[in-house]
Amino acid sequence: MLLREVGYARPSSLAEAIELLRADDGARALAGGQTLINVMKARAGSPDALIDLNGIDSLRGIDLAADGTLSIGAMTTYSEIVASAEARARPIIGEVCAQIADVQVRNRGTIGGNICTNDPTNHLPPLMAALGATMTIAGADGERTVTAGEFFLGVYLTAVAQGEVLTKVTVPAGRGDGFAAVTLGVDGTCIASAAASVNGSVTVALGCVDAVPVVVEPASASADDVRAAIEAAGIDPPSDVHASSAYRAHLSQVLAVRAVNQAQGAA
Amino acid sequence: MISTEQTITVTINGTTYEREVAARKLLIHFVRDDLDLTGSHIGCDTGNCGACSMLVDGTLVKSCMMLAVQADGATVETVEGLSDGDELNRLQASFREHHALQCGYCTPGMLMSATALLREKPSPSDDEIRKALQGNICRCTGYWNIFEAVKAAAQ
Amino acid sequence: MTSTTVAPEQVEVGKAWSGQSVPRKEDKRLVQGQGVFVDDIKRHGMGYLHFVRSPYAHAHITSIDVSKAEELPGVYGTLTGEEVAALTDPFFQISSAPGANVKDFSLAVGKVRFVGEAIVAVVAETRELARDASELVEIEYEPIDAVVDARRARDPGVPTIHEDAGGNLMWHGVYEWGDLDAAFAEADRVVKIDQLHFHRFNSTPLECDGALVEFNKGTGQWTIHTNNQFPGFAAIMMGPAMRTGLDRLRFVTQDIGGGFGNKITSHPQLVVCCLLARKLGRPIQWTEWRTDFHLSMSHGNERWFLDTEVAVKSDGTLLGFRTKALDDAGAWLRYEPLGGVIWAQVTPGMYKWRNIRVDFTQVATNKAPVSPNRGYSRMQHLWFTERVIDIVAHELDLDPVEVRKRNYIKVEDMPYETPNGCVYDSGDYAQMLDIGLELVDHANIDQRRADAQTRGKLLGVGIGSTLDSGTNNFGQSRMINPELQFSGNNEVATVKLDIFGEIVVTLGTTPQGQGHETTAAQVVADILKCSVDDVNVRAGHDSYWNSHAGFSGTYASQFAVTGLSAVKGATEMLAAEIKKLAGAVFGGVPEEALELADGTVRIKDNPEAALPFMACGAIINANNAGLPEDLGVTLNCRYVYRPPFQVPDVERKFGNLTLTYATQIHVAVIEIDPETGYYDIVDYAAVDDCGKRINPQIVEGQVMGATAQALGAAVHENFVYDEDGNLLTPNFYDYHVPHALDMPPLATGSLESPSPFTPLGTKGMGEGGGAGIHAVCAAVQDALRGHGDAIVWDSCNPYHRVWEMLNDPKGAGGTVSVTDG
Repeated sequence: MLLREVGYARPSSLAEAIELLRADDGARALAGGQTLINVMKARAGSPDALIDLNGIDSLRGIDLAADGTLSIGAMTTYSEIVASAEARARPIIGEVCAQIADVQVRNRGTIGGNICTNDPTNHLPPLMAALGATMTIAGADGERTVTAGEFFLGVYLTAVAQGEVLTKVTVPAGRGDGFAAVTLGVDGTCIASAAASVNGSVTVALGCVDAVPVVVEPASASADDVRAAIEAAGIDPPSDVHASSAYRAHLSQVLAVRAVNQAQGAA
Repeated sequence: MISTEQTITVTINGTTYEREVAARKLLIHFVRDDLDLTGSHIGCDTGNCGACSMLVDGTLVKSCMMLAVQADGATVETVEGLSDGDELNRLQASFREHHALQCGYCTPGMLMSATALLREKPSPSDDEIRKALQGNICRCTGYWNIFEAVKAAAQ
Repeated sequence: MTSTTVAPEQVEVGKAWSGQSVPRKEDKRLVQGQGVFVDDIKRHGMGYLHFVRSPYAHAHITSIDVSKAEELPGVYGTLTGEEVAALTDPFFQISSAPGANVKDFSLAVGKVRFVGEAIVAVVAETRELARDASELVEIEYEPIDAVVDARRARDPGVPTIHEDAGGNLMWHGVYEWGDLDAAFAEADRVVKIDQLHFHRFNSTPLECDGALVEFNKGTGQWTIHTNNQFPGFAAIMMGPAMRTGLDRLRFVTQDIGGGFGNKITSHPQLVVCCLLARKLGRPIQWTEWRTDFHLSMSHGNERWFLDTEVAVKSDGTLLGFRTKALDDAGAWLRYEPLGGVIWAQVTPGMYKWRNIRVDFTQVATNKAPVSPNRGYSRMQHLWFTERVIDIVAHELDLDPVEVRKRNYIKVEDMPYETPNGCVYDSGDYAQMLDIGLELVDHANIDQRRADAQTRGKLLGVGIGSTLDSGTNNFGQSRMINPELQFSGNNEVATVKLDIFGEIVVTLGTTPQGQGHETTAAQVVADILKCSVDDVNVRAGHDSYWNSHAGFSGTYASQFAVTGLSAVKGATEMLAAEIKKLAGAVFGGVPEEALELADGTVRIKDNPEAALPFMACGAIINANNAGLPEDLGVTLNCRYVYRPPFQVPDVERKFGNLTLTYATQIHVAVIEIDPETGYYDIVDYAAVDDCGKRINPQIVEGQVMGATAQALGAAVHENFVYDEDGNLLTPNFYDYHVPHALDMPPLATGSLESPSPFTPLGTKGMGEGGGAGIHAVCAAVQDALRGHGDAIVWDSCNPYHRVWEMLNDPKGAGGTVSVTDG
């Protein structure tokens, strides 16, 4: 419950933040803190320094381009996404953000923090993978943009290297999306989750079953094709106190079909 | 630029405090231990219970997941600021009338969450009330009387 | 959101206070954040304490080195098990052999026996430093295999947890009443259930344990500010261990953030605080973290019921049962093995069977120590009887409603003596069941079932009936250990008129939200004929008030009987003294001619001749010359309520073990999503009877709270251990308790069947008896009828278990067979 000694800085520009993160291997970006502070309370991870990104205005905000592309600043909170008129261009994003935990968490937690943490039970990694989102990462040498597949590398591991900052998530235009989960209590932690998109082809991304979202592309939106695609992916989900591996695998199939159905309904 | 200690200025319930504080100190501990505002409580160590809920610059947060240094320059509202002297406000009186508290430990956090809700939605629906209180655990009441109290305070 | 047949009344002035939902006195301070909880208390120079806890479930401690921790600037000192073993004696053991031989100190000595066990205490200038310093304590361990399954705890070759006890058996006793052989001979069918399991959880009060302890070197007095809810018990355990008289231990509590029984056994931590306060010469502050609490405090009894056999007639009349109860006490006996007898308060549940045998075994395992949790030990047994009823109905294809009504003890049978001599005071179970069924529109349940089917859902309805036995006869402890010298019960109250006539009340209890200040004021105001606003009830508990006795505290559903009866007794004494004084002042007017009204004592036929309470207080306290020598009036009345108990017959295990029996009957309607095993509670009714209700709103609040906790336990809450003894649900992230969005719609109803045995006709209530668990288990089993017909054999049924029951109905345990009698 009590953190180890830590340094703190609150840069007001992105360049400053990058410099601070580069200068110290033990420096870590602080976004919403809704995960990182708890990790530090448990002393499961203790950065030397926290570089608070909350003062960097350029990392906030949602931009809707004429072609329907959404650019969401990494430090945009879940509450801001839920309330945003622009974000409604791709409604599933706000709908899923509204299911995350509770108001207090949504007021501080950010889309950037959620995907950079890449906890297998987080909502946004599979959703972003299903929507075909891209992630823009800034470092001392400039900016680069990667696909979701290139971004999510492992449990708590993403393409954001030391000295880099995720600046924004870009989501292409579309509407036919779905998300289904079984959670520990209403709006609780996901036990199993599936995100789906039927814009053009069908894409399903599973959370909770592997180190990174498992993305499959069923031949069609039919339940049989969706289940066959999950089967073919050969997932071997973890067992824990909330679900056995077999139960998670079963839920993944059921939720994938439901997410696809929801996506079709929304298309 | 990086420091393990910092002098911060925070205005809480209308009073401005200037204190030196370690970067690692959580906002809830700063409020309770350094400022002796013990109305906000701690009920867990994983950010789940909401007993530490307060308003920071008008936004409802769980203060156990913020560092005190992050509140530098902020305006904070806690339960101690709700009543006018000894006069309970409408929400507090409604809690009392509807038996929306038993041990009272979750109550400050509940009141702050309800306050945030009613500011944003003066006439919330039943579902909106539940959603607004989802981040506050109560073990005594089962919540039903709390929903009634918030609803009655809204009308 | 809720509908209720209890309409919260507007408070009517002029009408009796008792029976009205008077708004609580406690609330004004609590809604302003002005409550004083133990972590709110500060003392100059206090040291913050952090416990170093075991990472192993079972290990020898080969070395402890605190030198690096003590060198850290800001660290005031440490305490180890070695010091504790030198300075204190082991805690008194309630058990007879072999549990009696367990040596329990307040820090681990030589060995650790559960993950989270406290080994070293570190005290420092700040909380953070204490935490930092604890990481510098170096401990070396030699791990031993952990014993995690109570069913294996006595297998050959399994490690012994307490060498002094010679094995993992802690206590064993056989209870048998009636004639089992005759019952099984008479039976038409015998239903055999190989295993039932009541799971391990507790009520996780939002405030964890804590204390601020000061030691007065000059007087040898410890002042223990704490949230321990049973100071009487804590004192009895701590005094002898600390080799000090009990009066040296002053317990002070004010506001407590929930207890539910889970704050009874903090005496080991309190001893550590006391020793450190003396050793370091400064106040010691200890606050328990949520994870510490989950790892180490007061898990509810985990109990197996093995090889159950039930003798039944074809029409569903239950003749009797025998079972082997196996209780998992965890690593230490801290209030156990009292759980081994306390269930016997409700031996037959709510049913008329007379032939019962329970072979009760309690074993140690490498898990957190078990001690009281809301519904303590009766809940486990009542769950068992409800499971038996439902499983019998299921197997014999009988209606669970009819089977209950056929076997319920009837209202005309009350007071009813159970097979083991307990007396159920009053109650109308059949009527309560009807009310509950009505509240969920049970008559139309088939239609709801069909409607659910169209949505692809399986609907189930389940009944959970339960008793809340209250006001213990501590003589039952002799059935655990005949050498114990405890019996009866007591509670104390004082009521006085202060020098200016203010009415001041002190209690011996330690309320954690039950509204004692308010209900006590209602009782006082009715007798003194004044307003509740004129009655000042001191908040909390303080040993220095001399307002407590051996059993004082708030636990076991008893305040409305013990506490309020003490208040009644003290107030009646005061009322009599006021009249006696007035009679003397008026020149010899007899008491019968006087009455109390409007804050005065006056002559009935001449109301102008009135003496205000202020005058009474002033005369006795400051102006008493000239009063008759033998007046015997102090206006400061202390009353000890003693419920009418005998010492039970230890040989036959027979006698009245509790004074009152409140009842709750719940009905749950659920819908299961068969594709996932997920289920919702779509309708719920809770019907309660606790005799005369002093404050209906407070009573209903307790019913609601107990319901919510039971639902949490039924669906999610579970202290689950892996095979190495690691707790997999050590915090609120994985141990899911109900939040606002989880709550079902709730309808409540009530009856008032006064107790003939209590001064006010009240019955203790509050624990509730876990009716929600019984109801949800029954509903799940009902929903699965025709879809595999699985038997619900575990009290916790999360989604994955429901799915398993759908897909493998016979798997994993809980097999039932029916043979001819």
